[in-house]
Amino acid sequence: MATLELIDIAKRFSKNVWGVKKMDLEVEEKEFIVLLGPSGCGKTTTMRMIAGLEEVTRGTILLEGKDITDIPTRDRGISMVFQNYAIWPHMSVYENIAFSLKLRRMPGNEIKARVQKTADMVKIGNLLKRLPGQLSGGQQQRVALARALAVEPKLFLMDEPLSNLDAKLRVIMRTELKAIHQQTQATSIFVTHDQSEAMSMADRIVIMKDGKIVQIGTPDEVYFKSANIFVAGFIGTPPSNFFTVKCSVENGGISLQHPNFTLTVDPHEFKELQEYRNKDIIIGARPEDILIVPKESAAFTEKVLVVEPQGSHQVVAFKLNERIVKMIVSPEIKVRPNDTIGLAFNVQRLHFFDSNTEKRIPLGREEL
Amino acid sequence: MNRMYKRQLRRSAKRASLYIVITGILIIIILPIFFLFSFSFMSDYETYSEWPKPLVPSLKAEFKLDKEVDGYHLFIFNRSENDFMPFGPLSFHDDAGELEKLQEFVKRQANCTLPVSKIREYMHKADSGTPVTFNLRKKLLANYVLFFQVVNGAPKAVLNSLMVALATIVISLSIGGMAGFAFARYFFKGKNLLKLSVLFVRMFPAVSIAIPMVIILGRMGLYDQPLGLSLVYSVGQISMSIWITASVFMSIPVSLEEAAMVFGTSRVGAFWHITLPLALPGLAACAMYSFIGSWNEVISAVVLTQFNPTFPVVVYKALVGSQGQINLITAGSVAQALPAIIFTLIIRKYIIQMWSGVKV
Repeated sequence: MATLELIDIAKRFSKNVWGVKKMDLEVEEKEFIVLLGPSGCGKTTTMRMIAGLEEVTRGTILLEGKDITDIPTRDRGISMVFQNYAIWPHMSVYENIAFSLKLRRMPGNEIKARVQKTADMVKIGNLLKRLPGQLSGGQQQRVALARALAVEPKLFLMDEPLSNLDAKLRVIMRTELKAIHQQTQATSIFVTHDQSEAMSMADRIVIMKDGKIVQIGTPDEVYFKSANIFVAGFIGTPPSNFFTVKCSVENGGISLQHPNFTLTVDPHEFKELQEYRNKDIIIGARPEDILIVPKESAAFTEKVLVVEPQGSHQVVAFKLNERIVKMIVSPEIKVRPNDTIGLAFNVQRLHFFDSNTEKRIPLGREEL
Repeated sequence: MNRMYKRQLRRSAKRASLYIVITGILIIIILPIFFLFSFSFMSDYETYSEWPKPLVPSLKAEFKLDKEVDGYHLFIFNRSENDFMPFGPLSFHDDAGELEKLQEFVKRQANCTLPVSKIREYMHKADSGTPVTFNLRKKLLANYVLFFQVVNGAPKAVLNSLMVALATIVISLSIGGMAGFAFARYFFKGKNLLKLSVLFVRMFPAVSIAIPMVIILGRMGLYDQPLGLSLVYSVGQISMSIWITASVFMSIPVSLEEAAMVFGTSRVGAFWHITLPLALPGLAACAMYSFIGSWNEVISAVVLTQFNPTFPVVVYKALVGSQGQINLITAGSVAQALPAIIFTLIIRKYIIQMWSGVKV
């Protein structure tokens, strides 16, 4: 049985403003779910509805089979980490963490032990007597985390908890959060707009856009089987490159024609593409699926625009049909701006999208 | 070289003129207050017989007793003349009635106690032909004591004023605080217009609505009552309180309350545990504003009270009715200003918070 179930929930702020239009989601026990999407897509609203901080316009929320749609926040058995930490400035770190335990009338020595345990888990065991004003941003973040963990909730909500940290600390906290989750096994929902954060932490990613779910899947699924152009463009850095091509079937082979190149693919392997005969389809190519090859075997040649070295890899950009295309190549390959290079696609890994609906064209071979 | 010198000169001239202006402003503000304090500690003799006025009141008075053919003479040291000047009756003799009159005169004019027995003692010493000089400690607070003794109903007026101020604080802070919280936390139609419109009540001068006020309070049975007066003050103070408390509550992030609700409190509990402790300094500063506003108010109080005046009214009436007893009136004025000053000093650091918001 799922720990959390959202059944057709929606949130309307005013007459024509919808926070969430329609949302169905099942979260399994011990799962780490990430709600991902651009700002304004309704991910935070969804989380606040689960927490009970926002009223639900329509739909039902079930937590461990119990309808919690209309019960007050404090009775839901959840805990939450806020984006701005929201730790209480007039209480010491200890009092912050012990607040909810005291309200539950837990015996004093038990509170002490629990606070010390959770504080040690997030490495602030020596800061318990301090006031929040005397802590750095990272430490405040840890206090917020400890406060939420101390409750031992049924459901652990995190609302962009890392977005106020600097880039380096964010990566460290990401790893620690994942380790803590593996240790506590608390069912967690994590909201973020940072796709690399989502990819690195999630068991499953829920990608949202305009108040609706676009795709639910493991990090691998959303990366390799992106449901539509939006997902393919949103996940991954640099984002996918898109080419509109004309599909035609000649001599038993499927040929995809772009002003700059023509791809021929095997008609058996890609038989679903035959339905798009004489129609436009969109190819999505991840930066690492464009390859530099010798000019003789190249699908097309192009001049290099810029090279961005990243250490472990380098990003090479070139212009194709007035649009910038970015690819990732290994650092051993020496390319310089204005070099003419031969290029080809890793056809097996390409994504194909319907040009009208922008949805993925499912290929039979992927199901095998 | 010459140009550099010129530039430097111009710069220092600029700075000097700035300092002169600032000093001038400070003098204009501080000098009257200083003299108010200074005069409140002076005896009648210091106030009226010394010119130019001394800057600070003296702590003691110096006397000289001399014997002449026509009797004894008392002199007092005059600081502006830098010499002993005649004090009291032209001459006096060893007569119980005369000496008692003299004792009273010294007490009234110099704020010193000079018992009859002491006078006799000095008279004996002066009999030898050489003048006797002696110092007496001046009673610094004599004017204050006298003010409350002489002015009709002053102690009761202080009590009235305190009651009015307290009631004003309670009414304006409870209503204004609740409204301020609503303005800070909730969205509703016409919010900004409403917030602005509460200030309109402050635009009418008290005098212009005095007569209607008297009639309304009279019908309510609250005319000449502390509660009635505090109701009138609250009308103005509530609008101020709304603005102050709204800004205080706005500076406390909603997420702090939401966090409390997530971690086990109700909405009211969140306010009680989190928002109230954080807002308390700002609310205290707001209370101070109401206190000073009602404590110092004269115009409405003059109109709306008759037999139960507030303290400012008493001071005002003493000032208007007195025959130029400046040092007495200044004592009353200082007594009136003192609570407000002390209150302000105590709450000083919170005033900053009131305008710049709670540090979170």
